[in-house]
Amino acid sequence: MSKVRFYFRIYLKILSQDIKSRMSYRSDFIISMIGMIFTNAAELAAFYIMFQNFNSVCGWTYYEMLFLYGFSLVALTPMQCLFENNWNLSGYVRRGDFIKYCFRPVNVFFYYISEIFDVKGLGQLAMGIGTLVYSWIKLELPVTPLLLLELLVALASASLFFIGIMNFAAAVCFYLINTGFLIGTVSKFRDYAKYPVTIFNKGFRFLFTFIIPIAFIAYYPSLVIMRPTEIPLLTWLAPAFGVLFFYASYKFWMYGASKYSGTGS
Amino acid sequence: MNQATKTFTKFNPKAYFTLIKSSIMEYMQYRMSVVVMLFGNMMYLIIIYNLWKAIYASVDTPTVNGMTFTDTMIYLVLASAQFSFMEAYLVWEMGRGIQNGDIVIQLIKPMSYEMYQLFIIAGGNFFNFVVTFIPTFFIVQIVTDWAIPMGINLLYYLAAVLLGSMINFAVDYFVGTICLYTHSIWGINIMKEILVTFLSGATVPLAFFPEVLYRIVMFLPFHAIYNTPLTLLIHNDLPVAEVGRMLLTQLVWVVVMFAAARGFWKVSEKVITVNGG
Repeated sequence: MSKVRFYFRIYLKILSQDIKSRMSYRSDFIISMIGMIFTNAAELAAFYIMFQNFNSVCGWTYYEMLFLYGFSLVALTPMQCLFENNWNLSGYVRRGDFIKYCFRPVNVFFYYISEIFDVKGLGQLAMGIGTLVYSWIKLELPVTPLLLLELLVALASASLFFIGIMNFAAAVCFYLINTGFLIGTVSKFRDYAKYPVTIFNKGFRFLFTFIIPIAFIAYYPSLVIMRPTEIPLLTWLAPAFGVLFFYASYKFWMYGASKYSGTGS
Repeated sequence: MNQATKTFTKFNPKAYFTLIKSSIMEYMQYRMSVVVMLFGNMMYLIIIYNLWKAIYASVDTPTVNGMTFTDTMIYLVLASAQFSFMEAYLVWEMGRGIQNGDIVIQLIKPMSYEMYQLFIIAGGNFFNFVVTFIPTFFIVQIVTDWAIPMGINLLYYLAAVLLGSMINFAVDYFVGTICLYTHSIWGINIMKEILVTFLSGATVPLAFFPEVLYRIVMFLPFHAIYNTPLTLLIHNDLPVAEVGRMLLTQLVWVVVMFAAARGFWKVSEKVITVNGG
């Protein structure tokens, strides 16, 4: 227990350093925030335009699709805010700067990840919550403590899946040199998470459920709230799967880091 | 700067060709990235195919706003493939150059910074066009049973995509210049990316836009980057006069955007303050 307290204290210290240094570039902070909100607003506009021409997609109404979208935005926020440093990993490894993280008496993954807190992710969180609440009201879903608890668990497990996917993509650079572009491609998968997996045929449904588990980022977990009468087994398994998947990605990351030998300079 | 401008006015094709070549060779080093990029395009193709199939399955008519399912899919997939070969991260390049001071090295070269970047990017665009766009094009053709006509429209497309990528470059150069003032890259770049892809019809085809929005979009330069080349590629029944009008519009935008970007850069060049001078 004291170990957890120790790590928590370090985390806050590292975090506050990062936020302080970010705040010295105030215009960058503001522009990034606007950029983030801009991105989500354009996606919402695309949704709106699409549903001007079509009433439903595969039996999913406009507001249900909005719910999925809002859910995915909130679920993606922890990766955006807390695990952002994964994006820089391949650069650190190639240049040899990664070695500095190996000399600290704390967990390498923990230390590396806590170094950056991405504030602009909060803009995405705000958009996500807004969309979620709006569609929740329009869908006339009830508000009960149990449902809110389910929502939190569902969001947490969805987040773990996306963080896991990104951990895997980032850690590949420990095994193969120069794979910085990989994380860009993989992060695009987030755009696909907002669609119900039922639009795919069996083969792709399997692919997006078990191989590249993007269906767990919004679809499976949000069914618990949106369609409580037809919850599949996978929805109930999502939290356990999420923890396992994240743990596997963490092990993959750590094993890669333990193999890291610097650039020899 | 005077010196540089003077040398640059003497058109020197050899220097430009060298830049194109060197940037192609740099790209050749990252062969893995091409594979991943193709894989990314394929994933997008799968998602878009299934999504729009589901969307079209939920309406009774085979065409919506004059677009069939196949039209829409071809349009979106090729728009995305075009985006990935055109995006050369110039805003990042300029922003980083400003932040770490590397831009100074390029400014003292006997060639204008704009021309230098233009030809470096031309090389990258060409390389990515050949190794990612063309394969994607053929995969689309096979999947859709050769739905895109293979005739004069291909030539129109090549002309239009060349003009389109020049407009894209000028927009990038203009936006990159903003970084001289803001010292912010990510935010500026993402706003540019969203504006360009959304207003050019790369996210949702322009044919689906509501009337008012469509009219506004047609007054902006962005549709000339994606919508014009793709329209020329997909439809081969356009009258020659219409094709000419579309290409001419593009040409006007090339001139306007280059003038704007160059003017803005000229004014802003003076404010460059680099780390440690």
